[in-house]
Amino acid sequence: MWRKEIRLAGSGGQGLGLAAMVLADAALQAGLYATIMQSYGPEARGGASRADVTLSDQPVANPWFAAPQVLLALSQKAWDRFSPKLEAQAVAIVDRDRVRVAAPQSAWVLPFERTARLELREKIVANMLALGAVGVVLERIPCAVLQEAAQRRAPKGFSGVNRIAVARGWELMAMAQGGTLHAESVGP
Amino acid sequence: MELIQGNEACARGALAAGLKFFGGYPISPSSEIAEILSSRLPRAGGVFVQMEDEMASLGSVIGASLGGLRAMTATSGPGFTLMQEHLGYASLAEIPCVVIDVMRVGPSTGVPTAPSQGDVMQARWGSHGDRAALALAPASVAEVYDLTVQAFNIADRLRAPVVVMFDEVIGHMREGVELVPPRPEDIWRRPDPVGPPGSGHRAYAPNEEGVAQMPRFGDGYRFHVTGLFHDERGYPSTNAELVRQTLERLERKLAPVPFWLPPEKYRLGDASFVFVAYGAVSRVAREAVDRLREEGVAAGLYRPRVLWPVADAQLREDLAGAETVVVAELNRGQWVDVVARALPRSIRIVSHGKSGGEPVTTDELLAAAADLQPRSVKSS
Repeated sequence: MWRKEIRLAGSGGQGLGLAAMVLADAALQAGLYATIMQSYGPEARGGASRADVTLSDQPVANPWFAAPQVLLALSQKAWDRFSPKLEAQAVAIVDRDRVRVAAPQSAWVLPFERTARLELREKIVANMLALGAVGVVLERIPCAVLQEAAQRRAPKGFSGVNRIAVARGWELMAMAQGGTLHAESVGP
Repeated sequence: MELIQGNEACARGALAAGLKFFGGYPISPSSEIAEILSSRLPRAGGVFVQMEDEMASLGSVIGASLGGLRAMTATSGPGFTLMQEHLGYASLAEIPCVVIDVMRVGPSTGVPTAPSQGDVMQARWGSHGDRAALALAPASVAEVYDLTVQAFNIADRLRAPVVVMFDEVIGHMREGVELVPPRPEDIWRRPDPVGPPGSGHRAYAPNEEGVAQMPRFGDGYRFHVTGLFHDERGYPSTNAELVRQTLERLERKLAPVPFWLPPEKYRLGDASFVFVAYGAVSRVAREAVDRLREEGVAAGLYRPRVLWPVADAQLREDLAGAETVVVAELNRGQWVDVVARALPRSIRIVSHGKSGGEPVTTDELLAAAADLQPRSVKSS
């Protein structure tokens, strides 16, 4: 059985709930099963919010997990709160300008927000860039499927830029894995 | 395949079942049900009213139902408490209605956003008197949809309030589902009134299923509706024999429900170590069963979909092969009493309750199993 538990974390308003929906949608398209549990209550409106996505090739019995295998953190608060729970083999991905990763912790440190702002002229699509990067490490959902889902779920006027953002995030992660992206902090 | 939340599945199930009236007071973690219905129900030709509180909410639902509409409300623990008075009224006056209870941590306002299964006994005994109760417990988004439809069917056919209860996890989790709308022939109707309107009309004369055959308000019949014990015309009575017979009939008419919605038995055939669980906990228990099977433990899961009423004989028969039964619940042990009462003393019954607002985990259940079955677990 293949099963991945993914936590998309940041602060309320960064679009992690939407990112979770896109990811789960894409997973369903790719023939997988998916559940989402989202943080609910005061933290969803600021503070460290999270959306937990479970993907599997079998129906997901239990949608709840304590420690994810993949953690995306787009804010320092979210990183500080959720990274201590990570197990050694977990993969962490953070935004280079939002999160400082201190040794011995390690993470893929990628410029999501900066790329969104400077290249795509839409800071708000940093979530879709990050989602593209997550897609690479999952190794189960093709980039095109993730792009289509991002387009389908996009708010009005964002379907085109969402598509591009996912692809760009995918590329950043692939470059980082291939060692061709200069990253100022540590990679695993 | 679409990705939707349990609460949305509930609202859509109600609409598919022909909901025409919602009276409610939004409360976490059930609010999405009211939110969704506030926009969709009027477009489906129904009426949505946000009432001043939960007592009035169920009151308005009862009124709409007496007028012939399929009617419901949705709430959580604190509101469910306020609805107990009207639940009792609807039971005795035989008024069909559906009450959704998305459970959060209590007592009182408790932890509004955290899951719990703490209202199970309240659904049974929360209203005073020897009331017969009906409560369904879905364990997935798709099943929330299906059991909401069935709740309306059962409410109408048996003329009784039906509670659909699920924890916050089921209410808020999203999963991929394919919802299958009921066909017209899948929708049950209320029993038709017997005979023409007239002074001798007996609105509370039971049919062969023990159900009153009441007309709708406004159809020209004259009859009386009261929370007092009443004769077949609906007029109050203190006759002890009538009271006894009515109580028995109200209980008897609900008895088929656990057979209409039988429990799920997962790998139960040869199981000697059995989890009993409902709602979100049953999903975790299913995973624990698979893990235990991999380790060579003959584990199984018994998942009731109807929490009230309980078919004791059925429960006893289904669990006859068990040596150890662990009743896992997101409370301090409520349905475990039902299991303990139904099963013989030769079966070891263990309560695995958890409170505090965090879901039960697979590892916790495996640890509990290891404590109870040292040989089989450790030998593998």
